[in-house]
Amino acid sequence: MPTTVEKGSSPWQDAWHRLSRNKAAMLGLWFLVAVVLLCFAGPLLPFVKSPTVINLDNPGAAPSAAHWFGTDQLGRDLFARVLYGGQVSLLVGIVATAVAVCIGLIYGAISGYLGGKLDDILMRVVDILFALPFLVLVILFSLVVEAPASRFTEWVITTTGWSRDKVAPITTLMPLFIAIGSIGWLTIARIVRAQVMTFKQQEFVEAARSLGLGHARILFRHILPNVVGPIIVYTTLAVPGIMLLESVLSFLGLGVRPPNSSWGILIKEGADRMETNKWLLLFPALFFSSTLFALNFLGDGLRDALDPRSSKD
Amino acid sequence: MLRIILSRLLQGLLTLFVLITLTFFLVRLMPGSPYTDEKALPAHILEQLKAYVGLDKPLPVQYATYLKNLVLERDLGVLLKKEGVTVAEIIGQSFPVSALLGLLSIGIALVVGIPAGIIAAVKKNGPLDYACLAAAMTGICLPSFVIGPLLAVFAGLGLKSLNVAGWNSPADWILPAFTLGMVNAAYLARLTRGGMLDVLNQDYIRTAKAKGVPGWRIVTRHALRGGLIPAVAYVGPAFAGMISGSFVIETIFQVPGMGQHFVNATTDREYFLIQGLVLFYGFLIVGANLLSDLAQIALNPRLRAAA
Repeated sequence: MPTTVEKGSSPWQDAWHRLSRNKAAMLGLWFLVAVVLLCFAGPLLPFVKSPTVINLDNPGAAPSAAHWFGTDQLGRDLFARVLYGGQVSLLVGIVATAVAVCIGLIYGAISGYLGGKLDDILMRVVDILFALPFLVLVILFSLVVEAPASRFTEWVITTTGWSRDKVAPITTLMPLFIAIGSIGWLTIARIVRAQVMTFKQQEFVEAARSLGLGHARILFRHILPNVVGPIIVYTTLAVPGIMLLESVLSFLGLGVRPPNSSWGILIKEGADRMETNKWLLLFPALFFSSTLFALNFLGDGLRDALDPRSSKD
Repeated sequence: MLRIILSRLLQGLLTLFVLITLTFFLVRLMPGSPYTDEKALPAHILEQLKAYVGLDKPLPVQYATYLKNLVLERDLGVLLKKEGVTVAEIIGQSFPVSALLGLLSIGIALVVGIPAGIIAAVKKNGPLDYACLAAAMTGICLPSFVIGPLLAVFAGLGLKSLNVAGWNSPADWILPAFTLGMVNAAYLARLTRGGMLDVLNQDYIRTAKAKGVPGWRIVTRHALRGGLIPAVAYVGPAFAGMISGSFVIETIFQVPGMGQHFVNATTDREYFLIQGLVLFYGFLIVGANLLSDLAQIALNPRLRAAA
């Protein structure tokens, strides 16, 4: 006799269900979607002005219908600058985190999967690097890779024939991506290693091995998919940290530099002139901080949703 | 116990060696040189200058000389652009300033952060908890260079006796220490709350409750010891964070500490000053990590058994 079939739900559906019940996390998620859309698609709209056109007749204007966020000391439209600056800040946060996650994932997976002496050595290296002053090395490293990065810019322009305006904004950020990424992978390596070590002793891995599968296939097809959850959580919580780092570097004059702008640079310029033009600090700081808020809320929510321990309830 | 301390010390030494080596080569690989902007210098004088500090020799030789001077004579080298000033003198002048700033702000962070975390955990999901969490989140999400100028404006408007720049009297210390302290207080509060919540859910706390131990005594006598472990583990990294935080704070409030020297040294390519400051930072961090490890062992009997 046919009965109604009980429909199962995948762990990811369960996680999404848990996440969607978390109001703070969902608010953070939608806010982030809105900010990303605004920053990357907003400049295409006809009424958004150019962030670089200087108008010395109208410096430091207060917010108005013509200039929603007012203008800066050179008469540039602050709304447009906040959108373009947001592109850079978000890009640095996402790309640098992605670099760090890639390095950490491979390093941690190899260390945890192979184990033994090699694992000891690899993890001791992580311990040592972990004790080094992080920001100091990022600063030195970003200065070192500056020259190769500008050579790379020239190479891209001459080989592809793209215009400098299109290439330079991305490639000049490469020192930051590389510096932050190549120093920020330590935590992810530890997380991935710990996860891989617990999974490699479970029956499904043993079964895969007894079927005669190779190491690479076991690691990438059977173990790593299980590690995706913790990585997503860590990544979401790492992006705000790295965006903050970018802003600190820019504030010190060592990160993103004019004429490129980022939220960090806008905040610095605003802080310099906050006594006369408050909005120059207010709007960039508002965008920056609420984006970090949203990322943190989303990260906390994802942790609750993807943490295996919380799946009991 | 002794074995743990010895192995940590050994690892600390190794860390410092890696740091020295890494910094040495990173600094030499940076584009430009200390003498780039002094175009007026004739070539032969430049050569003499370089020969005087040993910059004319091949890199491995320079590296060996640096290590030899460092280990045998504890010599950190000299400044390249200011004649007769040694790196040790600069550190000697600026370290007390940075140390005072750091200690004050750690004090503020501990006094504000840990009680806030405990209260938040005890009153979980109450209005006080949400207030603490919101305040902590604000402290984490607002960059210190926004908090700093804002505090400076409020202080400048309200309390005329607080100075917003300089480092001459105790009135100058308050704003920078407060700004730097608040960021770490926020992290400490979150960690303390998490640690306390973990402990408060344990069976032995329920046993204590069942035995009729009063609420405050459960917190102070039974929960605090275990609940503080995450916060104590954070002290090592917090120290490193304090150093990077001081770069910004010292720039905003014009505090003549090591952070300012470091930022200027990187733009001026003062090779030996960069190396000396980074090594000094490394020393401090290794020391702080060691202390934090020992404190964790003292707080956690399970770690002691493993030792």
